Amino acid sequence: MTPDRRIPGDWFDQPVPGNVEIHDEAYVETAFSFLLYRSQLAAGVRIGRGASVYLGTMFDVGRQGRVSCGAFTLVNGARIVCDAEILIEDYVLISWNVVLMDTYRVPADPALRRRAVIAAASGEPRRVDGHVEARPIHIKRAAWIGFDACVLPGVTIGEGAIVGARSVVTEDVEPFTIVVGNPARMVRRIEPGETTP
Amino acid sequence: MEGRTPAAGTWSDGTLPANVVLGARTLVTGAGAFRRFMSTGDRALSIGSDCTMDGVQFALGAEARVSIGDYCYFTNVVLLSELELRIGSYVVIGWNTTITDTDFHPIAPAERVRDAVACSPLGKGHPRPPIARRAVIIEDDVWIGPNAAIMKGVRVGAGAFIEPGAILTADVPPLARVAGNPARVVGTVR
Ligand SMILES: CC(C)(COP(=O)(O)OP(=O)(O)OC[C@H]1O[C@@H](n2cnc3c(N)ncnc32)[C@H](O)[C@@H]1OP(=O)(O)O)[C@@H](O)C(=O)NCCC(=O)NCCS
Repeated sequence: MTPDRRIPGDWFDQPVPGNVEIHDEAYVETAFSFLLYRSQLAAGVRIGRGASVYLGTMFDVGRQGRVSCGAFTLVNGARIVCDAEILIEDYVLISWNVVLMDTYRVPADPALRRRAVIAAASGEPRRVDGHVEARPIHIKRAAWIGFDACVLPGVTIGEGAIVGARSVVTEDVEPFTIVVGNPARMVRRIEPGETTP
Repeated sequence: MEGRTPAAGTWSDGTLPANVVLGARTLVTGAGAFRRFMSTGDRALSIGSDCTMDGVQFALGAEARVSIGDYCYFTNVVLLSELELRIGSYVVIGWNTTITDTDFHPIAPAERVRDAVACSPLGKGHPRPPIARRAVIIEDDVWIGPNAAIMKGVRVGAGAFIEPGAILTADVPPLARVAGNPARVVGTVR
């Protein structure tokens, strides 16, 4: 980053928000990823050493949201919807079009949801945050989320686990297992091996 | 030129890579068609005649080979290849279907950690571990609906019908009807 918080060569002509921490040895393709970012916490997004965040990734982080991408994580175009906390540990791989959401943002009850969308229409900027409780997502070390998958509020994905492409994860995933499908179910266990590089 | 049938197909949005061969009357549209086309092989992508490739992404890695027969009709399909995709004739594939012959990373956690380092900004001098690649074969007259995914090593038999959103990881017999995530055979087309 340049001293005025620009990413060198970025096509999107805006600075990275002041309360986003990007390690000197991390790669973030474009500040466009922070277009929807509005966290008011001291470090609303933290991107660790050796991590890479590619185009298509959107940090849709609410006022009290906090996202952490650990060392050597690869985030290849994910939608990160966060009003509480999304903790992504070291060596996690997240594929294109993955959705990680720790909140539904609006109530399930249609009458209450009407109120939320009516309130949004007069808001500036127009957002639907903060109407329902958010439940943190925790993706542990060296897990891998396949393309187009979706991880729902409150889910913990265990160390080294794999979420198959296009899966919808509604429950915790055991470490060193593969889950697939909608809703995602475990299909097999995998050998941990030596996971310190 | 007016009044003359073109000898070979065309791409509406630019100059084709030299190792792409299009048959007569085949039309490729979309500015992103070859944005991720990296293959260096001879005739890396060959498409027969009378095909319509509307908004298809040809994301071919350095060693990939993709062949498509005649009279195929694809809309906004994502073709991801590091090895080989072999697609027959009269194949119709819908919006946002992904076909891939690799997972792009290893399954074993230890190797995945090594791969994460190799793919990182600090990856210099860290070669990537081997990653499984298995050719995908789609036979003639197959129909594949929108939002489906065809994963590595799958062979889809002639005339099979793949319902929208189906995720295929295993072979499909000819004329089978397949649906679901994960996909199951739910019947036959006749
Ligand atoms: C999950 C995955 C890695 C598993 O690969 P694998 O170990 O070779 O698994 P298999 O093909 O042997 O499948 C095991 C079982 O899971 C099912 N399955 C695998 N992946 C699935 C998926 N994405 N959706 C639904 N079912 C799936 C298979 O049908 C099989 O079920 P069965 O035992 O009932 O026959 C792979 O299928 C996958 O989803 N890869 C996507 C990777 C990706 O997103 N890469 C993008 C770049 S980061």
